[in-house]
Amino acid sequence: MRKRKLINLIMFVMLCMIANNLMAQGVPISGTVLSDNDATPLGGVTVAVSGTNRATVTDSKGKFTITATEGAMLEFSYVGYATQRVKATADMQVRLSSAEATQMGEVVVTAMGIKKERKALGYSVTELNAQELMKNKNTNVVNSLAGKVPGVNITQFGGSAGAGASITIRGGNSTSESRQNQPLFVIDGIIYDNSTSVTGNTGTDGLSRSNTSYSNRVMDINPEDVETLSVLKGAAAAALYGSRAADGVVIITTKKGAEGKVTVNVASKISNSWENGLPDPQTVFGPGNYASNGVLNTTNTYDSWGPKIPADSTIYDNIGGFFQHGIVYDNNVNLSGGSKNGSFFLSASNFNQTGIVPGTAYDKTTFRFNGEQKYGALTLNANVAYSVANTDRTLTTAGLYLSGVGSMQSLYRWPQTFDIKNYINPDGSQHRVYAGTLGLESDIDNPYWIINQNKLTSKTNRFTGGVNANYKIADWWDLSARLGYDKYATNDYTFISPGSALIPLYQNGRLSKDLLDYTYITTTVMTNFHKTFFNDFEAHLMLGTTSENTQTVGQNHWGYNFNTPGTYSFNTIAASNKFFTDATTRRRLVGAYGEFGVSYRNIVYLTATGRNDWSSTLPIENRSYFYPSISGSFVFTELLPKSTILSFGKVRASWARVGKDANPYATGTYVNPPITVGSFTGIGNQYSAGNPILIPEIQNSWEVGGEFRFLKGRIGLDYTYYHSETENQIGQPRLAQSGGFIFSTLNAGTVINKGMEIALTGKPIAQRDLSWDVTLNFSYNKGRLGAFIPGVAYFYPTDAQFGTIKAASIPNGGYFLGMIGQPYLREKDTKGQEIPNGRYLVDPTTGFYKLNTGLPVVGNREPDFIGGINNTLRYKMLTLSFLLDIRKGGDVFNGTEYFMIANGLSKQTLLNDRQSVTVTGINSQTGAEFNQTYTAGQSYTIGSTTYAGTNMIQQYWANYAANSYNFITSVNWVKLRSLSLTYDFTNMLKSKKIFKEISATAVGTNLFTWTNYKGMDPEVSAAGGTGGSGSTGIDYLGVPAVTSVTFGVNLKF
Amino acid sequence: MKQSKYIILACTLIVSLVSCKKYLDVNTDTDNPSNQSVLIQNRLPWIEHFYQYTAGVTNYRTSCQTGVYYTNSANPNTFSTTWACTNANSTTSYQTWFVEVSSNLVDMYKAAEKQGAYHYMAASDVFHALGYMEMLDLYGEMPYTEAGTGNPSPSPDDGKTIFNGCMAKLNEAIDLFSRTQDPVLPTLASGDLWSNGNVDKWIKLCWGLKARYMLKLSKKADLYNADSILYCLSKGPQSNADNTAGPGFNNSTQLDYLIGDPVVTNGNWDYVAYGATNRISQYYYDLLTNMRGSGVTDPRMTKIVPASMANVKLDGSGKVMSYTWNRSKGVDSYGPSTRLLKGTPTSIALQSYAAANTSVTYAIANATDRTNFINDQIASGRTYTVDGNNVKVTYPAGSIFINSTNYLYAGDTAYVNLQSGSLATTKVAQPATDVNWYPAPASGAAAGAFNAGVIGSTGSFQVRPVSDQEILTYHEMCFIKAEVYLRKGDAGSAYTAYTDGIKAHLNMMQAKLTQWKASNYNNPDMWPMDQAAIDAYLVSPAVAPGASITMADIMLQKYLAMGCSIENWNDMRRFNFSAGNVGGFGVVYPGYKRGPLFTGQAQLTGGSPTDVRYWMRRWALPPTYEIQYNSEHTLALNHHAADPNIWCMPIWWDCATDDEYNGYLKN
Repeated sequence: MRKRKLINLIMFVMLCMIANNLMAQGVPISGTVLSDNDATPLGGVTVAVSGTNRATVTDSKGKFTITATEGAMLEFSYVGYATQRVKATADMQVRLSSAEATQMGEVVVTAMGIKKERKALGYSVTELNAQELMKNKNTNVVNSLAGKVPGVNITQFGGSAGAGASITIRGGNSTSESRQNQPLFVIDGIIYDNSTSVTGNTGTDGLSRSNTSYSNRVMDINPEDVETLSVLKGAAAAALYGSRAADGVVIITTKKGAEGKVTVNVASKISNSWENGLPDPQTVFGPGNYASNGVLNTTNTYDSWGPKIPADSTIYDNIGGFFQHGIVYDNNVNLSGGSKNGSFFLSASNFNQTGIVPGTAYDKTTFRFNGEQKYGALTLNANVAYSVANTDRTLTTAGLYLSGVGSMQSLYRWPQTFDIKNYINPDGSQHRVYAGTLGLESDIDNPYWIINQNKLTSKTNRFTGGVNANYKIADWWDLSARLGYDKYATNDYTFISPGSALIPLYQNGRLSKDLLDYTYITTTVMTNFHKTFFNDFEAHLMLGTTSENTQTVGQNHWGYNFNTPGTYSFNTIAASNKFFTDATTRRRLVGAYGEFGVSYRNIVYLTATGRNDWSSTLPIENRSYFYPSISGSFVFTELLPKSTILSFGKVRASWARVGKDANPYATGTYVNPPITVGSFTGIGNQYSAGNPILIPEIQNSWEVGGEFRFLKGRIGLDYTYYHSETENQIGQPRLAQSGGFIFSTLNAGTVINKGMEIALTGKPIAQRDLSWDVTLNFSYNKGRLGAFIPGVAYFYPTDAQFGTIKAASIPNGGYFLGMIGQPYLREKDTKGQEIPNGRYLVDPTTGFYKLNTGLPVVGNREPDFIGGINNTLRYKMLTLSFLLDIRKGGDVFNGTEYFMIANGLSKQTLLNDRQSVTVTGINSQTGAEFNQTYTAGQSYTIGSTTYAGTNMIQQYWANYAANSYNFITSVNWVKLRSLSLTYDFTNMLKSKKIFKEISATAVGTNLFTWTNYKGMDPEVSAAGGTGGSGSTGIDYLGVPAVTSVTFGVNLKF
Repeated sequence: MKQSKYIILACTLIVSLVSCKKYLDVNTDTDNPSNQSVLIQNRLPWIEHFYQYTAGVTNYRTSCQTGVYYTNSANPNTFSTTWACTNANSTTSYQTWFVEVSSNLVDMYKAAEKQGAYHYMAASDVFHALGYMEMLDLYGEMPYTEAGTGNPSPSPDDGKTIFNGCMAKLNEAIDLFSRTQDPVLPTLASGDLWSNGNVDKWIKLCWGLKARYMLKLSKKADLYNADSILYCLSKGPQSNADNTAGPGFNNSTQLDYLIGDPVVTNGNWDYVAYGATNRISQYYYDLLTNMRGSGVTDPRMTKIVPASMANVKLDGSGKVMSYTWNRSKGVDSYGPSTRLLKGTPTSIALQSYAAANTSVTYAIANATDRTNFINDQIASGRTYTVDGNNVKVTYPAGSIFINSTNYLYAGDTAYVNLQSGSLATTKVAQPATDVNWYPAPASGAAAGAFNAGVIGSTGSFQVRPVSDQEILTYHEMCFIKAEVYLRKGDAGSAYTAYTDGIKAHLNMMQAKLTQWKASNYNNPDMWPMDQAAIDAYLVSPAVAPGASITMADIMLQKYLAMGCSIENWNDMRRFNFSAGNVGGFGVVYPGYKRGPLFTGQAQLTGGSPTDVRYWMRRWALPPTYEIQYNSEHTLALNHHAADPNIWCMPIWWDCATDDEYNGYLKN
């Protein structure tokens, strides 16, 4: 609270300071836009005031009028023409050059921050600007990319406050769970960590990827600070970044001050969010379950297999009543300005969110300063950013072994006749339904107890900074050096209250504190040469070197049994019940690289790059590795007669190799902490084996594509086909334990990704008062695992196994994003092969369907394709944007439904009013027809045991729940990802003494989802941040995804 | 300004380029020692402890197979009761041996070899034999020559290769132990938790193991060699003083890194008596109360079969004032199995403690059952009321009862579970010398039963946290000798060895019980047996009289003495269980048979007892950790490794010839 006040104060002071200086005012500026080629008026040109949402379009005579302060920069853009920025003056005349005719085409940021003309690129790069990102602002920049960039797949970790998201570009390249498949993030030239770190210990505090919410660290960026975001998808684009760029790179450039008056932007938003779907429990049958002899047990079970709920009973909407509306207050202020030789940008923001689960919250405060100063040929840049992110969270599911249950797990099974809100007794102990008949260690915690009594927080303070010096030695030669620093400390705190349903050892409370301290220092020296020769040839050469030094320090403290009630600290825990561990990792890397490019007129471009890395993580003899890339583009329309139909055409191709080093310490085998038995001290190996002969992982990839513009640029098409193969996979998979270890580090296997990306842009309407821009993107990727060491049936990440399902990658051409599980067995043909739609086998010893427990592949979580349709409609000062996000195919496991069937809360279990179930198939032992109806009132002898029908019906559903296929759907969806409406009030301002510009925006996020998925929300990842094949497509007892509505105001002074 | 700029640039360049090699040398974990640096005297206690752990889970699960224990835990219940063996039973022994022990053996051997520390090399060899022979006994084939070295995809070896390899390692161990180690090197005593560096005892262990292993070959006409076994026995343990046992302690709460079990306790306890799922089976119980149909109760019975308190009266302060011992019955899975047939195979219910008077209402629709149930209440002296089908019973404060409204389970207090408490696993502040189990109260504080002093189980001799874990004992040697002599037709010598074995076991137990009593363990089942009862037993009909001794007499006394041990299953396989078709010895294990709850047709495909595939003859390999992860190699050697009925395929030493064995693998 105190922090909020401070921020408000800072903002107020800034406002006052700036208001004094405000003299300039917005005036209507009008002008004409002409084509540079033939001086004909250009209609349909978008004229926008730089840095605002305010825009207009020229009429058929090329005329426009727009409100802007004098001296403001106007941006003139038209598909097929180079965007121009021109200072606003009265009655201005602007000449636009068509892209194919100009030396200066569209410029994009590429690897190492080098700006290049788009047409020179031999690979695909997608760039998004601030305006596009802000249309559906999300505090996590990663989320703002959803549906907007072909080839990019975003998965939100869930609806919790502070929950992160994962991003993969063109599929994953590494199978092992300790290896991330997410792209490298580079902010203002400095690599920016985007880990999703789990600090705790699943055994002692329940902290694992699936049990609570985690943020990905890119969330520490204030999205309002972003000027442009460039996605380098393939290895050729990213190769210069070296070892960590095999999964693509996202380059973010933050805002800078512009020459001119100091301006202040204030943006305030308030948002309301709510769950967009909830499980719908049955309310017909009450708590209880039936023993095999039909005796009803209602004394100690949370199952809902009991008798019908009497008509006069109160039924509580436990699930529906649990969630609250989440509110976000989002305030941003920035101040920027500059002179001829210098500029600055200063921003502060606070994002304060309460989650839909009571007691959860996410509060982020950021500060940034960017400055630039020129001294003759020398330009110095400095960026510093500081952020504080605090998350209040809850355990949603149980950790390994002894951590009790989580709130969602408990909520989704609580019988509907128990008032879940009644969770605490007057004496402060937990109100337990079965207090008289169930020991505390066998009980489960009420979710309200979990969210009110326990306390889980995660706090991250982060400082990033960089200093960059560029010296222009000559027109054609410059030299630059950069020092970058990224440091954060995450402090997690987990307190489990005394009186929680845990094993007796922990019933008097448990506490753990975890620290993760991350430090990254990098230095870069680079020099660039540009030269034009024979008039038609242009060449450039870049040489550079870089060093990176990364260190993480992890500390875990935990203990149990508070000996002084009321004071919950390590100081009230006996020494023998307190434990701590340390883990330090260090990684260093030195790289030397170069790029050489040559172009002929504006027709042919060729670029080659090479980089050599020396990594500390590899064995000394293998630590140096080199990788090249080559790319080219050919603008063939330059050689054709001018055409109004095909106004621009380019084809491109590239090939690249990228090496990837190992994780720190992967070369060695280490030992466990000692055990003490009597007077002896025993020391033995850890269950992970190192590998002293590792070699780097190598990715070879190629892509081809083309860019085409039709009808003078009214329609644009960008097409890419790519293929990548990552060999010598470094991993530490689970392998045969006869090798002596559970995990063994090795180089083996290949990951192959192929796919295609299409982006189509169009401007169906372009009139003075009405315009419509549409971008359609479409992509698919097929990720497959190549040959692996013989006999390994699958790989799975430990963090991604739920119910009967494991996320897994399947060797020898199988799915990279596979899913393995337990299906019912079907009858076999004469060759012993299962008949695809054959009858089920029924096990006569149980009377139910027989399961294939060999964990066969049951699904592929990779979509057939994904796409997005992004529309912007503008009518006068009103702008309407909406983004449709489309997905076709890809399997999702509905683990929540699995869970609710198993405990009798699912509506599916109401089949036949629970009076009967029928098992039909063939007897697995005799092959005879099997057709048996189990009726509640009857009893059945299976083997030698007699079972009551009520018990058989319960068992039927347990058997049903065990069949993974009952919960797997190939999901299609169309989501109205965002809908935003902006109105610019600037024209209506009578006096512009204080405000130069005002606009207001209303945004709806995830308003509608049309899908064939029956569960809550198909966009799921049950264990955020898992490496390898991850956990996308697994829906298991998570906090529901949310729909939100945001109202915001932007003010400029 | 200009100058400073160049200085910054120059510094940056220097940082980037200079002393690159040193800059990169940071790939060593500063928090965890590398496996290269571990001292051999620290490896050995680790290996000894974790081998005990592997042996513990193996002893437990095979003892469920042989009828020593009944369990209501779903997976091992398929060993004790239904025989529908589930693959989930296969994992722990394999994982704990290979992951916790095997790679350490390789590292210890190499480190010892480098220094010339013969005794540590020898110890590595012994554990190699102990562990891999145990794996062979369970799984038949698995990686051996390529195992334990970090090779992630090792090829398996057949049983014969593993057997011969283990024997060779024992021969090498005997040689190495016989050498004198340079006195500057760490002495064996500095790392030997088991035998305090007593090399002589280690050598006897090696010979004893050779005898045990050579006995496995009894089905093989060409390899079984009685005189060789007798020679080995002559060099093996000669008295209880030569026994090798792993010690069990209750003096620490430290937990292991992999499974999270205490590191100081007896490995058998970790599986048999850590939790409340296990009970004495009827088969074992009968041997202790009716050996040879004698009706004689064995003096060891009350030390092995647990008891709980019954008829408890509490005093004003809520402490036990008076009680009787409720000695457990056995749970029957092979005979009529009356109780289990009423519920499911796993339905034996857990005991709870009634901290206050507790009423339970049972709905009993069946009139006969209701009458019987009421009669039981009358016999127990409990208060009850009847209302239609409902019988409401009041359990007085201090009672141990079954907290369920299902009347079928109400009598399950007769089956006392085997749980024992330890410092690391109980919440209530039980002193180290109190390893009893106190049942959780149905309501109220967890410490209720403990504070009142109401014991739920007194535990069992071999499976308390503080029990010795028998690795190789003199009494086993005696029984091997008895068997070998009887096979030679020398009944007289067999008889001597047989009685020596019984006496040795009684003496070993008595010594431990005496020691426990002296250490003030607070439970009479941990105190010495009555010497008069021992003397009476030895001359009773429970012990075979003189030369009329049968193989069944020997093997059943051996079974009784070995108890929680894989050797019983090894022996039973050699005699084809109760088929009675081996060597004219008749039925050696009478009463051991498929019970009425048998549902293992898919796993055990033999149609009659004389069909080898009628019985549990091996374990499937771990379904995930070996079959899934190493399927190609595994199936190449044994085409049927993944078949459901792999459970009844004989392993190498269980076959008369290599042809028979290879036939199973390939056909």
